[in-house]
Amino acid sequence: MRKNFCSLFKKDCQIMLAGKFFFVALGSLILYTLFINFGYIHYMNAELYNVYLYDPQGTQQEVSDLIHPVASLEELDAALSADTNGVGIDASSGTPAVVLYHGSEKTDNHSADYGLSLLHQGNVHTTQIVGTNTPELKQRKEMCSELLFIEIIAVGFLGIASVLFKEKQMGVIRVHGILPFKKSLFITSKLTVFLVSDLIFAALMALFNIGFHEAAGILPDILVQTGILSLVMALTGFGCTMLLNDFRQFSLAYVVIVIFASAPIFLSANTSVKMAWIDWHPFYHVYMGLKNACFGMPVTNPVYYICSACGIVILFLIVRAAFHREMGKEG
Amino acid sequence: MIEVKDLIFSYGKDKQALHGLNFTVGDGEIFGFLGPNGSGKSTTQKILTGILKGHSGYVSLFGQNISTAHTQDFFQKIGVLFEFPYLYENLSAIDNLKYFSSFYPANQCRDIGEILEKLEFKTDFLKKPVSSYSKGMRQRVSMARALISSPKLLFLDEPTSGLDPSGAVLFRKIIEEERKKGTTVFLTTHNMLDADLLCDRVAFITKGNIVALDTPKRLKEQNSNQRVRIAYLYQGKREEKTVEIPELERGIPFRHDEIISIHSEEPTLEDMFIQYTGRRLS
Repeated sequence: MRKNFCSLFKKDCQIMLAGKFFFVALGSLILYTLFINFGYIHYMNAELYNVYLYDPQGTQQEVSDLIHPVASLEELDAALSADTNGVGIDASSGTPAVVLYHGSEKTDNHSADYGLSLLHQGNVHTTQIVGTNTPELKQRKEMCSELLFIEIIAVGFLGIASVLFKEKQMGVIRVHGILPFKKSLFITSKLTVFLVSDLIFAALMALFNIGFHEAAGILPDILVQTGILSLVMALTGFGCTMLLNDFRQFSLAYVVIVIFASAPIFLSANTSVKMAWIDWHPFYHVYMGLKNACFGMPVTNPVYYICSACGIVILFLIVRAAFHREMGKEG
Repeated sequence: MIEVKDLIFSYGKDKQALHGLNFTVGDGEIFGFLGPNGSGKSTTQKILTGILKGHSGYVSLFGQNISTAHTQDFFQKIGVLFEFPYLYENLSAIDNLKYFSSFYPANQCRDIGEILEKLEFKTDFLKKPVSSYSKGMRQRVSMARALISSPKLLFLDEPTSGLDPSGAVLFRKIIEEERKKGTTVFLTTHNMLDADLLCDRVAFITKGNIVALDTPKRLKEQNSNQRVRIAYLYQGKREEKTVEIPELERGIPFRHDEIISIHSEEPTLEDMFIQYTGRRLS
């Protein structure tokens, strides 16, 4: 059995190398690393809103360094018309009055509060800081978990399909039907190749973007969550490839799966948009597991791991049935 | 070697593909399974090779009931040549054969170089990817794959498809050699010449039923119209006449100076195919 598995594994690696899949993964890794290190963390350091203060009598004595003083009401108007998201404060009467372009009620209130808060230096309210992450590290971890999730559900999913569709077109899957080995090994070998590739990707992604020192402690948890997601996606990709006729049909299924898998999850996990049904979305829990692993808070609930294991076993059985069906197809 | 009794198979509820097939194939026999497209040939072969499950009736291979026969040990004893040359196109002939043979016990496998040489495979293509091969070369590699494990039972689906006449002759010679070694061959084909030259017995299958099963010679004899066509010269003129065979017992029943040729009007296997299956070969 080990000899048969080695033969299958070696052949799968050869096909993956021939299909240039590793170059796609490497390209993604470089792109994501450049984005996080040279783009994302800098964008996120940008100020929320520019705040312009007109205070001819100097009534505001303890203003923040982030305030932009203006010399006249005309200059304040000009600044706001050039920066429509900006917040203006007219303190010419001695009492600060907020001037801004109307957006939505919630945004306007938020902008006004932020603008007024800059009239005082230092912290007015005492804030309890949770965790030890610096803002930059938090941003790195957040983006790392998001990109890792996207990479595995999108690129990994496509990768297994590209390899399998080739084998399907060549007809060699049918030949495996009459070879003396356990047919489940064919599926296991493919899963192993993609699992190893995803784990290496996740490790490099964490090391390059979270930092060697910080990543070392959380890497095992990240790898566990990556492993769960990788197996689920590889099995889903395998099943779709067996059931669908060609890559065109698969591409459509891929778009649907990616949209339905990722869009609601990112909205629920990263914004104030909350969907009542999101708790029923299995990928939401896997994503949160991955994100929490990046923040050093691994999932400890055994129900999560039992459900994941059951899901993987059920998918494996479906895929095995689809694989047997494919072996019995006409040429 | 193969025993099939009342074999029935359906694809779903309404599509019955096999309606109770009965046949046996003896050890070392070349058995031809002939029929038009959609007649049930491939379905039968898939059931025998264990690819298709869910049949009813009794089927045994190597003296063992098929429901328990499809173990790894069973697959080690069979070789299958599919209708199309299914190979890894990015790998060379040698790498393909190394890969496929790696699933069999090493002491059972033949030498790759030797078998390719026997199949007259062009040596300068040995390490080139299969994607650069002609159809005939791919068929040679596929045949090598089927033979590499020294199978006791060989399933061949259109073995000479895609080969030029000399390649077809070579393949027939190799199949004959395999039979001499004691290998049983289950041959599925549309090529009546292959069936006529190779098969000890043939079965005609149509719409999931075996409509005739015998040696090619007997099938032709049974359907012969008992006539011969005689070409002769008489008074310097060439003429032809068709004569009933019993008439010949009293000698040539017409005047002639010289007999040029005598041909029996025995039907060909292709005539038999059309007669039994009601379909012409495409």
